[in-house]
Amino acid sequence: MHPVTSAKTAGITGFESPATEYTQPSLDLNALLIEHPSATYFGLAEGDAMRDAGIFNGDILIVSRAVQPAQGEVIVANHNGEFICRFFNIAERRLEAANATVQAIVIASEDVFEIEGVVIRSVRMHRQLKDTFYVRPG
Amino acid sequence: MFALVDVNGMYAACEKTFDSAIRNRPVIVLTNNDGQICALCGIAKRLGIQKFVPYFEVKDQLAATGGIVRSSNYELYADLSQRMMATCARFAPQMHIYSIDECFLYYGGYRPPGQTWQQHARQIRRTLWDEVKLPTGIGVGPTPTLAKAANHAAKRIDGFRGIAVLDTDAVRRSVLAKMLVTDVWGIGRRIGARLNDLGIIDALTLSEQDPSRMRKRFSILVENTVRELNGEVRLSWDEVRSPKQEIFSTRSFGNRITEPFELKEAFAAHAEIVGSKLRRQGSVAGAMMVFASNSPHDRGGFEKKSTHICFTIPTADTRLILAAISSSIDKLYQRGIRYYRCGVGLLDISASNRQQFDLFQSAPDDRGLMACMDQINARFGRNTLHLAAKGFDPKFSMRREFLSPQYTTRWRDIPKIKC
Repeated sequence: MHPVTSAKTAGITGFESPATEYTQPSLDLNALLIEHPSATYFGLAEGDAMRDAGIFNGDILIVSRAVQPAQGEVIVANHNGEFICRFFNIAERRLEAANATVQAIVIASEDVFEIEGVVIRSVRMHRQLKDTFYVRPG
Repeated sequence: MFALVDVNGMYAACEKTFDSAIRNRPVIVLTNNDGQICALCGIAKRLGIQKFVPYFEVKDQLAATGGIVRSSNYELYADLSQRMMATCARFAPQMHIYSIDECFLYYGGYRPPGQTWQQHARQIRRTLWDEVKLPTGIGVGPTPTLAKAANHAAKRIDGFRGIAVLDTDAVRRSVLAKMLVTDVWGIGRRIGARLNDLGIIDALTLSEQDPSRMRKRFSILVENTVRELNGEVRLSWDEVRSPKQEIFSTRSFGNRITEPFELKEAFAAHAEIVGSKLRRQGSVAGAMMVFASNSPHDRGGFEKKSTHICFTIPTADTRLILAAISSSIDKLYQRGIRYYRCGVGLLDISASNRQQFDLFQSAPDDRGLMACMDQINARFGRNTLHLAAKGFDPKFSMRREFLSPQYTTRWRDIPKIKC
């Protein structure tokens, strides 16, 4: 929270709250979920291939470029010009889905492949967001 | 030591950060209103496309090579710039942001532990690529001017590949010998031409001049440059940081303007921009110039009118700036002219905390109101709160036909990731 403060008052003072000296900033989800703000971006999950990993169509992914992926972690990759989210099987150079109906992708040497970050958190909307945000898969 | 970090083809590089489909294709970015080319990626440069050329001249060539054209997406560039600066700040005790894609890192007597300068620069470059996906060039040298020269070498002189460190006299001399005087930071075209007349063509020859003679012939600025080229720090951090003495906001219209109220709306937008810039650097302005014109290429001839306004008491209040413009709009507007461009410039700028007050008049600025407006716009985004005079359907808004999404500053634009 970044409250807008202004020096204007109506000249009525009343009683000072006994809690004044104990005031703390409210909890901030950014501070909790994002360790490296300048290396982190948000993405919109489209599709159900990562269903069994708890990532559903329409979820928001929090992706960090500051960390190296470990074996089997959920990553975002540029695979032939498309951002795709999968388990990264480094040992076998495969992008594996968390859905039995979706085939794993074997990364071939002629493929364009770049790691675009590790999915460090994901956000599930149990109720829809206010319309003003429009975060919806197409 | 000083390091200068800057991004190669910043705007074009930003376009590639979240659009993986265009990473390996030529990308050009156009200026306001999609007129000229203002940035190119490396691939586009290698095709021989030049900066500042009108877009229509290269349209076919670009299309034939599968190239991509984009309008300037300032929202995206500003956010990525902030990420770049935050990343650079981790590496040095002090930093000075010089422009949207350039910063000086100042190490003083500090040496990165267990690293050569070469290794340190490589680590910064690597980190910026890994974490922000921006390609950079880094120059390291004992003075700001030499760091800038090293940065030039890193990008333009063969054999450096993005990093140059001027830590020995031999490297310093060989780099300066390959640079023209006009490539040296602080030497403009005019002084460059005068230096050439004296037979001083390359930067090494310039560095070998007698500093006090250079001061007599030119100015203390050229003397400082010569001393800096020899490793003596002359530019203080404050000089590099000095607040702007003039603040301008000018723009050409996407569509021509013919009505006085439209012109007034455009001026209101400019008044807001210069006003908030002025307040951000903690200054007030004592005078202002305002102009409106058609295009110099118009058949009926070029019509430009400008007027100069003095404030009795220096101000930083957008409403007072706009009121002054409104009262002189009759001097500027002429029926029948199809206006193409207008602008506002604030002059006679001084620090707001060192003002001379008027004996008979209290300061008319409402600082509380302006601070409140600035804070609301900082928090909820530009134009959340603005003067009604600006209108709500601005005709003068930029033409940005090839705009990419605001991947990091607008929820509906975040990148889509296939799952």
